[in-house]
Amino acid sequence: MNSTNRAANRLLILVVGLLLVVVGAAAATAALIPSVQDAWRNTAGAVRDQVFAWLQQTPLGDTGVSWIMPALLVIAVVAVILLIVFIVRQGRGHTGIAVTEPTSEHGTTVIESAVAEHALQDAIGSRPEFVASHVSTYRVKRTPVLKISVTCRRGVSPKDAAAIVEDAVRALDLLLGRPLPALVQISGGFRARVTSTTRLQ
Amino acid sequence: MSTTLTPQADAPPAPSPTGTVSANRGIYRRIGRRETHSPRSLLAIVLAVALILVLAWLGTEIVLALLGAPALLVAPVDMFTSAVNLLDAPTGIVAAAGIVVAVIGLVLVIAGVAPGRRARHLLMSERTVVVVDNEVIASALARHASLAGNVDPDNASVSVSHRTAEVHLTPTTGIPVDRDAVTSTVTEQLDSYGLTPSVRPRVRIATSGRIGA
Repeated sequence: MNSTNRAANRLLILVVGLLLVVVGAAAATAALIPSVQDAWRNTAGAVRDQVFAWLQQTPLGDTGVSWIMPALLVIAVVAVILLIVFIVRQGRGHTGIAVTEPTSEHGTTVIESAVAEHALQDAIGSRPEFVASHVSTYRVKRTPVLKISVTCRRGVSPKDAAAIVEDAVRALDLLLGRPLPALVQISGGFRARVTSTTRLQ
Repeated sequence: MSTTLTPQADAPPAPSPTGTVSANRGIYRRIGRRETHSPRSLLAIVLAVALILVLAWLGTEIVLALLGAPALLVAPVDMFTSAVNLLDAPTGIVAAAGIVVAVIGLVLVIAGVAPGRRARHLLMSERTVVVVDNEVIASALARHASLAGNVDPDNASVSVSHRTAEVHLTPTTGIPVDRDAVTSTVTEQLDSYGLTPSVRPRVRIATSGRIGA
């Protein structure tokens, strides 16, 4: 429901995973398989010399240090900033506006999502079938969508629960004069487990 | 004016619900898919934090090396040479560490590629998208199964997975359980929910009963 970039999440996990697989597999095969071990030993010296040569060929002014090190530092800082942005971007997408409609030439009508949320909460909150309920509004594809999550008492039929919420949503459609897309999330969870079973049929 | 939402019998007809669904089909499909699959946020955040820590440490080491100060743990140049001369370390430790790292990487690759389904189903609905936790379906089925099988609710247990609902009944000693009645009741309930993906019931009745239940 939120605007988390799931593809980015999976891409990060995949890239880190592949990196670990490659590094780990390289170390393990080099340690265990003699032919790979020999090849590693033969090239190790050349690789080391080459890198040290690069470090000497790339002086930064007359300070005597290579600019490769500061460049690596800049790359690390940029990567850290990108990762912090990536973390902060998770789980966003709430909105405070349910309806924006240019009702006349002179202005627009804006209905805050709190109106819809409180109305639905009022209608659903007192029902004996539910232990808890919560209504929030998210933006999905630039459209405000209501999210109504209810925790059912044990034994309540999900169909009945959905019907109760849906009646309230339809009544809200009448109140607002236009339908809002809505998600109903029916969950059990700890609070459902410790409360009494439903006595309704 | 009260904002109490009570459907009125003489209210004007509601905006067409089918119109809502067809207009929002794209949104509803997206929400349905996202609500039934894991976002992998926790794992991604943990990895990102670990990467930030590693990069911050590397950056600090580079700054210290540039200033000519003693390293915190390892200087960058030493890091590089010891990585190249990895095989000078004891073979057993290198191999074991390599295998552990590769296995962790493999687990991450699988987590990145696997669908990551949540224990939820979509319920058929005209006006809204409805997602139901499997445990809610299970507890509703358990109530109906115990009524149909005439057993105590404590002796009925149901577990719902992606495709099947496993109903376990322990009969009260001396009172046989009508399996067909239980099966048909459970099937009827499941059909009325209209779950996506559909769930088939499997009823099991314990061979030995329980006294006093």
